[in-house]
Amino acid sequence: MNTPSAVLSGTGLFKSYGMTRALAGVDIGITAGESLAVMGPSGSGKSTLLHCLAGIERPDSGEVLLDGKRIDQLREPARSELRRTAFGFVFQSGQLLPELPADENVALPLMLGGTARREAVEQARQWFGPLGLQGLESRRPGQLSGGQAQRVAIARALVGRPKVIFADEPTGALDQTTGMEVIHLLAEVSRSQGAALVVVTHDANVARWCDRTVRVRDGLLAEAHTEAETGAEANAGYRR
Amino acid sequence: MRALDRTTWALTWRLTRAGGRTGLLVTGLAVAAAAVSTTLLLLCVAMNLGFQHRSDRADWRNPVESSRPVAVEAVGTTFTRGVPVTVVDVARLPGRTAPAPPGLDRFPAPGELWVSPALGALLDRLPADRHPVPGTPTGTLGRAALTHPGELVAVVGHRSTDPAVTTPREPDPRRVGDIASPTRVASFTGAPLTDGMGGIYESLARVATVLVVVPLLVLGASAARLSVSRRDERLAALRLIGATPGRIAGLTAAEALLTGTAGALLGVVGYAVLLPVAASLPLAGGAWYPADLWIGAPPLLAVTAGVVALVVISALAGLRQVVVGPLGVARRSRSRGASAVRAVVFVVVVAVYGWITKKYGSDDSMALYAFAALFLALAVIGPWVVRLLGRIVTALAKRPATLLAGRRLLDDPKAAWRIVSGLTLAGFVAGFFALLTLDAASSWGGRPDQLAIAVPDNKVTQVRTLAEQRLHAAGVTAVIGDDGFVAQGPSDSRQVTATVSGGPADLDRARTALTGLIPDQYPITGPEVNWSEERFTRDFTTITRMVLVVTFTVAITSAGITAAAAVLDRRRTYGLLHLAGTPLRVLDAARSRETLIPVTVLAGGAVATGLLCGGSMMLAGGDSSFDARGLIVLAVCCAAGFGGILAVGALSRPLLRAVTRQAGTRGE
Ligand SMILES: Nc1ncnc2c1ncn2[C@@H]1O[C@H](COP(=O)(O)OP(=O)(O)O)[C@@H](O)[C@H]1O
Ligand SMILES: [Mg+2]
Repeated sequence: MNTPSAVLSGTGLFKSYGMTRALAGVDIGITAGESLAVMGPSGSGKSTLLHCLAGIERPDSGEVLLDGKRIDQLREPARSELRRTAFGFVFQSGQLLPELPADENVALPLMLGGTARREAVEQARQWFGPLGLQGLESRRPGQLSGGQAQRVAIARALVGRPKVIFADEPTGALDQTTGMEVIHLLAEVSRSQGAALVVVTHDANVARWCDRTVRVRDGLLAEAHTEAETGAEANAGYRR
Repeated sequence: MRALDRTTWALTWRLTRAGGRTGLLVTGLAVAAAAVSTTLLLLCVAMNLGFQHRSDRADWRNPVESSRPVAVEAVGTTFTRGVPVTVVDVARLPGRTAPAPPGLDRFPAPGELWVSPALGALLDRLPADRHPVPGTPTGTLGRAALTHPGELVAVVGHRSTDPAVTTPREPDPRRVGDIASPTRVASFTGAPLTDGMGGIYESLARVATVLVVVPLLVLGASAARLSVSRRDERLAALRLIGATPGRIAGLTAAEALLTGTAGALLGVVGYAVLLPVAASLPLAGGAWYPADLWIGAPPLLAVTAGVVALVVISALAGLRQVVVGPLGVARRSRSRGASAVRAVVFVVVVAVYGWITKKYGSDDSMALYAFAALFLALAVIGPWVVRLLGRIVTALAKRPATLLAGRRLLDDPKAAWRIVSGLTLAGFVAGFFALLTLDAASSWGGRPDQLAIAVPDNKVTQVRTLAEQRLHAAGVTAVIGDDGFVAQGPSDSRQVTATVSGGPADLDRARTALTGLIPDQYPITGPEVNWSEERFTRDFTTITRMVLVVTFTVAITSAGITAAAAVLDRRRTYGLLHLAGTPLRVLDAARSRETLIPVTVLAGGAVATGLLCGGSMMLAGGDSSFDARGLIVLAVCCAAGFGGILAVGALSRPLLRAVTRQAGTRGE
C-alpha cells in the first residue's frame, strides 16, 4: 500500500491497550489531496488508527511516514508541533473554546504558530465566507448551532494550510441533513486546498463523499473498497 | 421530596464507587475540606467559649458590695518575675456563716494560705525570702478559682479586724481589676469587669472568628463544587437516558450529604484530637483547662449541621451551572454578568465603614459588623473587577495564552473570582492587621529594678526608715528614695522607691521584704504596671498571626481545589486542543495568567483596602501605632500568597496533563 506518491502512510501498525489489541498490523497510505473514509463497527480500531497516523499516539510497532519521513518516533513536543502545523483536526464536538468568539477560535492555530493576532484574525475571517459563516465571526460557540460549530471547526482545521485533515466522526453529533452539509463542505474545501482528508465514520452516507473507503475490523483492514466499487455514479450526483 | 428516595441513594452509591481513582481522590478532597472546615470552625467556637469561661471564673475576684454581708473580700496583685500573683484576702464577719470561696471546700480560717497549684510549685521552688506571698500553704485551690492551670492565685484567711481587710485600698486606674478595696460581700459570685482589659480577649476572639470563618466557608463550598464538576459527565449521561432534573438534583444533594456528613464527622474527630494541642497554647497568661475548650453538644451539632448544609447548598449551586441541557454541555448564550453596580456597592460600603469608625470609634461589635460588611463588599466587587481585567487583558493580548486568559476572565468572571476570592479576603485581613500591631512600649517610665509604694506625704519619712530596716534585715542592697510621681493614691502623697541593682533574685528578696510594709499595697515596678496590656499585645500578635496563617493556608488550599475543579470542568476542550497540537505549555500559561492577573490586582487591592480600614480604626481607636514589623508580616503574607498560588498552579499541572492524556477523540 506504500505507494511512492503517498503523503502519509502507515506500515505494519500494531497497538494494544493492555489485553485489548486495537490495531493488529495495518498498512495504509493516503495520497496528496485524496479523501479516505475509514469505516467499521464500534470498537474496531478506527480511532486508534487515526490517532497513530496523526501522531497523537505512538504505535507499539510499525512505521508512520509523512512525506517519507518517520513521525512515529518523534517525541511528544515535536509530534504536537507537527499536529499543529501539518495536520488539521475536526472532532465530533466540544473542540471549540467556549469563551472565544468564532474568529479567534479559528485564529488560534495561527497565533500558536507565531502569527500576530490582528493578522491571524484577519486570515481566519477569510474562511467564514466560503464556509457559509458570514456574520457569525464574533459569536461564541454557545451561540452557534451544531452545524455552524462544526463548520467553524473545519475553518480552524484548514486555516494553517495542513497537508492532512483528520476527522473523527465529524457528523456524529449532528442530524442527518446537517451532517451531510458538513461532510460535503469538509470534503470540498479539503480538496480545493489540496489537503488529504481522513474521515473516521460508521455512517455509509458520510463515507460516500470520500474518494476511497477502507473498512476496519478487529484491528485489521478488511477488503479495501475503491470509489468505483462503492458506486461512484450515485456520488457524482451528490457532489455537484 | 421524591428526589431523595431509595433509587437516588442507590444510584449515588454506585456513582461514588464507580468514579475510579480520580473520583476517589475528588471525593477524598471534598471530605477533607469539609473536615478541615469543621475542625477549624469548632476550634474558633472553642476559643470564644473558652475565653468566656476563663473570664467567668475571674468574676469572683471582683467583689460586689452587699447590704447583707457575710464576709469581707479584698484583692491585690503582686508579681514574681513579671508574672502577676493575685492575692485575695478574705475574712468572715463575726456571727455570720460565709460560703466557701470558689475552689475551696470551706471558708479559710484566719492565718491560712491557700494557693493555686502553680503558685504552690513556685513556693516550693523558691527559698522563703523570695516568696511573693508570705506563709506556708494550708491547701490547694481548685479549678473553680482559676482562669487557667498556670495562674498564680493565693487566698488568705483573716480576722475581720485585720488591717488587710480593713484598710481601704486605692484602685489604680492603670490596672483595672488588679486591686479591690475590702468589700463587704454576701457571696463570692462577683461581677464581670466592665472596663480595662475585661472582655477584650472575648472581642478579639470574636473578630478572629469572623476573619477565619469566611475563608473556611469558601473552602467548604469549593470542595463541594469540585465533586460536582467530576460528576457532571455521568449526570449528563443520566439526563440523556431520561432522568428528571429533580432526580439529578437529588443525586447531587445525596452525594453532597454523604461527603459533607463524612467530612463533618471527621472534623469533629479532628477537633477532639486537636483539643489538647489547642489547650496547650499559652494565651492570656498560659495554657488552658481542656474542659474550657470543650464546646458541648449543642454548638457541636450546630456547627456540624451548618457545614453539611453549606456543602449541600454549594453543590446544588454548582450543579445549576453544569448540567443545563440533556446534552450535558452547558450552552451559554450570554456571558455571566458582573455589572458596575457592584463597584458602587463596594465604594459605598467602604465609605460607610470609614464614617462609622470615625463616629463610633473602634467598638468591637461595630467592628464585627463592619468586617462582615467589608467581606461582603469585597465579594461583591470581586467579579466586577475580574470582568474589567478580562476586558483590558483581552484588548491588549498579543500572545495566545494571554488572549485565552483574558477571554476566560471576561466570559466567566465568577469562576476566576472563586479561585482568588479566598486570597483576596486573606489579603484584606493581612492589610488590616499590618498596621494594627499594638504598641506595647511602657508608657509609665518606671524602671524594671525599682520597686515603688505610694505613701501619704506625712508618712514618707517613717516608711523610708521602715523600708531601709526591712531591706537591711533581708540582706538586700538598695537605694531608697522618694518622688512626687504617684499615679495611685490621693494627691497629697508621694512614692517611696527602692532601687535594687543586684539582679532579679535580689529584687524578689526586696519585694518579699517590703510586702506588708503597708497593708493596702504591694510594691510594684514600672513595667509591671502595664502587665495586662503587654500580655494582651503579645496575645494580640499571636492571635492575628494565627488568623493570618489559617486564612492564607485555607485560601491557598481552596484556590488549589477550585483550580483543580476548573481543569476538570474543561477537560474535554483541553484534551481536544491538545490533540490538535496546542502545546500544554500554552494551556498552562493561560491557566496561570487567568489566576495570577486577578490575584495580583484583587489581593493587592484588598491589602490596600485592609490598610485603609485598619488605619481608620487605628486613628479612631488611638492606642496603636505604626510598626515596621507589621510591614514585614505583610510582606511575608503577600509572598506566601503569591508563592501559594504558583504552587497551586504547579500542583494542578499533573491533573491537566492527565486529563489531556485521557481525552480521546471519541465523543462523550
Ligand atoms: N485509551 C484506551 N485504553 C484502553 N483501551 C482502549 C483505549 N482506546 C481504545 N481502546 C480499545 O481499543 C479498541 C479500539 O478502540 P477505538 O479505536 O476507539 O475503536 P473505534 O474508534 O473503532 O470505535 C476498543 O476495544 C477500545 O475499547
Ligand atoms: Mg472511535
